[in-house]
Amino acid sequence: MLMKEAKDILVVKDLKKVYGDKTAVDGISFTVKKGEIFGILGPNGAGKTTTLEMIETLRPIDGGEAYLDGVNVAQYPQKIKSLIGVQPQSPAFQDKTKLTEIIELFAAAYGEKVNVQEFLEDVNLTDKANSYVEQLSGGQKQRISIAAALVHSPKVFFMDEPTTGLDPQARRHLWELIQHVRDRGITVILTTHYLEEAEMLCDRVAIMDSGKIIALDTPKALVKELLGRGFKKAQHVEQANLEDVFIDLTGKALRD
Amino acid sequence: MKRKLYTVITFAKLNTKRYFRDKTAIFFTVAFPLIFLFIFGGIFGKSGDVSFRIALINQSDTHIATTFVDEAKKQTKLFKIDDEATSMAAAKEKMNRGELDAAIVLPKEFGTTQTGAKTPTGTAQIYYTQNNQTAAQTLAPVLNAALAPINAQFTNTDMPFKVAAEQTNDKGLSAFDYTFAGLLGFSLLGLGIFGPVNVFPELKKQGILRRYSTTPIRVWQYFTANMISQVAIGLFAMTVMFAVAIAVFQLNVVGNIFELAIFLALSIVTMLGIGLAVGGWARNERQAAPFANLVTFPMMFLSGTFFPRFLMPEWLQQVSAFIPLTPIIDGIRLIATEGKHFVDILPQLGIIGIWVILIYCIAFRVFRWE
Repeated sequence: MLMKEAKDILVVKDLKKVYGDKTAVDGISFTVKKGEIFGILGPNGAGKTTTLEMIETLRPIDGGEAYLDGVNVAQYPQKIKSLIGVQPQSPAFQDKTKLTEIIELFAAAYGEKVNVQEFLEDVNLTDKANSYVEQLSGGQKQRISIAAALVHSPKVFFMDEPTTGLDPQARRHLWELIQHVRDRGITVILTTHYLEEAEMLCDRVAIMDSGKIIALDTPKALVKELLGRGFKKAQHVEQANLEDVFIDLTGKALRD
Repeated sequence: MKRKLYTVITFAKLNTKRYFRDKTAIFFTVAFPLIFLFIFGGIFGKSGDVSFRIALINQSDTHIATTFVDEAKKQTKLFKIDDEATSMAAAKEKMNRGELDAAIVLPKEFGTTQTGAKTPTGTAQIYYTQNNQTAAQTLAPVLNAALAPINAQFTNTDMPFKVAAEQTNDKGLSAFDYTFAGLLGFSLLGLGIFGPVNVFPELKKQGILRRYSTTPIRVWQYFTANMISQVAIGLFAMTVMFAVAIAVFQLNVVGNIFELAIFLALSIVTMLGIGLAVGGWARNERQAAPFANLVTFPMMFLSGTFFPRFLMPEWLQQVSAFIPLTPIIDGIRLIATEGKHFVDILPQLGIIGIWVILIYCIAFRVFRWE
């Protein structure tokens, strides 16, 4: 029992969120292990974002409970805030702010003073250090946003659809970055629409629909289970797809 | 606590830096009030004298009539003579339209010597409309005074009783002093209310405030940071306005600069509280704009921003004294141009103090990060 406590960084029990007569999150339970990349998949309106927002203390929990690193989320939201880093769906910063200042600002929000250059280096933005944030490309904005979310060395990093709207190069680069974050011992919990992203990146995924978790396992095990039920694709699958062609032709180098 | 203050100071520092990089923001806080300063300073800046626009119609060709007209033309401080209205008909038309306050007619026999009389006589006639009784009441003694030296020439007697007017060295309050304090009030509305009310819904729309709410920063820290940066920005903008008013419009600042700065800082904090309450409460621009107008318009018209409160009816003066901007504008004028100290303006400070507490209680209660 004690072992399990130490291994599970997030424990969610029977979590509920109700908006009027609509149940957005309908009593879900799951655990996230320390140091894994955990994906929450599902169609729009499945309750992915609402689930994250409850754990991030942004929305009140209507039923059930969540423990992050052993801390009750509903009871100690202020403590939770210093344990987590949050990457919103479309990161935005106030105009006329330099990248160095964004790092400085977010560190200050946690009451900390950090080596700004080090954090910019982590996300490959040292040459943009003195640019204003509005001069950045979409991918660069995602990266500075990740750096800003990690200034206080959180235990869990939440990302809501991090690669939506990025070009293939930027997306691949972001995957590497996410893996790099995980390698530093930070647990990553992300939502995504892109299934190949989940397959490539996530150690385990939970598939949500209508507020419920309908499957939870490693991507491989989920595929195996489906094949085991005798599933066959209608179309013959090639060993490469159009994205592979695109990357082969245009290269992996970042374009921003 | 030290870390919490570090958060406040860093947010305040970066807010201020951002402002000085933003040309639009500088325009609206510094240049915009300056434009008003030049417009209103141009209107009220000259002097406090009553000025009338009149027509002077001389139908007489006597020497005395001509002398009178020349004398009248020298009285530029008292009235301005319209050169176009040379006939009674033209003058009447202009008077009806409100372009002229009165018409003075020197009839044909003005300055001629009537049969049997020793000296020339004449009566200058003042015509005025019903709406302009003050003009006539003021002009009649003025014209009498202008005729006095001419009368003296003929009657050759020294008048036993005279009134002598002499300027004292004390400079009284001019209309511009009122105008300037009012304009600072107007500028405070922009700095404290319109600024945050425009910015906050935008920050919410982009999810910038929401992101701050995922960090441990507290509302009081965020508010305090905004107060500090807004006071810094506001004092900068007001220093520019004072500098221009002193250099261009001969504003005479006699008060203690230190007290003035503290009072201005308090004023900015008060107005910012309203901006934080409205902008912090509103989810979007559509909620923010009407509410901001509802709050600012009474202040704009009743607190003496554009015209002084002493022109209002008594009851309105008494009511408007309690609007938050009124004691601010009065306080600025009392300290800056009348040289009063904090102990002299305790009633104003009291009203402001009550408002600050009330406004910030509301602002904290209704603030939302998204």
